[in-house]
Amino acid sequence: MLHIKIIDIEKDKIKTSVAETFIKSSSYGASIIFNGTVRNINENKEVVGITYDSHDELVLKSFEEIYKETAEKLKIIDKAVFIEHIKGYVGLGETSIIIAVACKHRDEAYVLSRYIIEEIKKRSPIWKKEHYKDEQSEWLKGNPIKNEKK
Amino acid sequence: MKIKLELFGASRDFSNKEFLEFDIKQKIEIKDFRKEIIYYLEKNFKGNDSFVKIVKNSVFCSEDNNIVNDNFKIIKDQKISIIPPIGGG
Repeated sequence: MLHIKIIDIEKDKIKTSVAETFIKSSSYGASIIFNGTVRNINENKEVVGITYDSHDELVLKSFEEIYKETAEKLKIIDKAVFIEHIKGYVGLGETSIIIAVACKHRDEAYVLSRYIIEEIKKRSPIWKKEHYKDEQSEWLKGNPIKNEKK
Repeated sequence: MKIKLELFGASRDFSNKEFLEFDIKQKIEIKDFRKEIIYYLEKNFKGNDSFVKIVKNSVFCSEDNNIVNDNFKIIKDQKISIIPPIGGG
């Protein structure tokens, strides 16, 4: 089971309750819901919000690839995975990403949840523009994505 | 041939629009298209090395949503996305 979505914050809301409903609809016994939120300090600067930008099609494609890989690389076959990421402006303490997973056993659920967030950070074309208390803002530098196909 | 370059992340600062348009005389490989973008930036944002650096560290995405390498050839009017270094999630 897989649910993936980019939430345009101007049109929609990101809700943990949606993830809970999805996870409950699976028959697995171990579940984890990870919430990524905007934190107050980054590199000694006071952050008041972040604007997220996304290449939606590539991001969704990367989510699907990551999901498929978890069967091949982690050998986690039976699972339910829910991934939603926002685009647009979110303020301090607000949610930018929800990853919810359910598996047969807790050790698989922890590994799966961690794997998904780390791979998204490495591979999904999402960008952050931080806004600071002093009214300055800047795009975070990030890491170059690898060339894959011709 | 018209190439519409869709802007994302830090490259959004290249324009007030969501894209840049290039009129290219003949088919062009990504590596040369990259030079065209840098030429445009040097002309319009003289001395802004950080913009040039963004382009040098970016990859490109074709209209059918594949990351393409520097040898990919653009042969007709199309939309190409610039994918600067990523840092989301």
